[in-house]
Amino acid sequence: MNLFRSEEHVERWVGRRDPGATITVAKLSELAHAWWSDRLAPDWQPAPRERNQAILDELGLTGDFWRLP
Amino acid sequence: MDADLLEVRNLTYRMFVELGRAPSAEEVAGAADRTGAEVESVWRELHRAHALVLNPATNEIRMANPFSAVPTAYRVQAAGRWWYGNCAWDALGICAALRTDGRIETHCPDCGQAIAFEVRGQRPDDELLLFHCLVPAAHWWDDIVFT
Repeated sequence: MNLFRSEEHVERWVGRRDPGATITVAKLSELAHAWWSDRLAPDWQPAPRERNQAILDELGLTGDFWRLP
Repeated sequence: MDADLLEVRNLTYRMFVELGRAPSAEEVAGAADRTGAEVESVWRELHRAHALVLNPATNEIRMANPFSAVPTAYRVQAAGRWWYGNCAWDALGICAALRTDGRIETHCPDCGQAIAFEVRGQRPDDELLLFHCLVPAAHWWDDIVFT
């Protein structure tokens, strides 16, 4: 899970591996804030799979690649 | 999650942020009126529940996601300290968890060139950067350190 300067850098680094998925850093920030912002809350509870999947879905991260087990 | 696990988990996270590093089992035990062995036992349960990640060789904390207990390529300046994120997602997650702005420093894995940007009001100030995820979500926890 890395940051790259451009799509060209991603493609060169991925090479012959499976392509994975690429999103903008702005989208990543939205994802990070939705996913992690409760992590230090005193009433934190582990998120059920459905809630985590809903975070991905609501950000448009859909399809098999983003499907949690 | 069991209240006993949650208590140790929350204390571990709180101490991580207060200390700016992962606490030892003995440090958590001292604050929780438990033994170090009891804390390690709870940590192993939390590890199995994916609530934190232990170093299998030492039973010390490797990740209290999004925080890394060991140096990584993702350095984060936030809340008056430098932290390490486990990956790019976690680096932004540190700002999210601390509910603050921050600065993230890393390098492009392809060309090695330095990357540095600020996160202000949840927005990165270099929106040309791209995040790449190699492992599908279904397999993130197969090997979370690699992921």
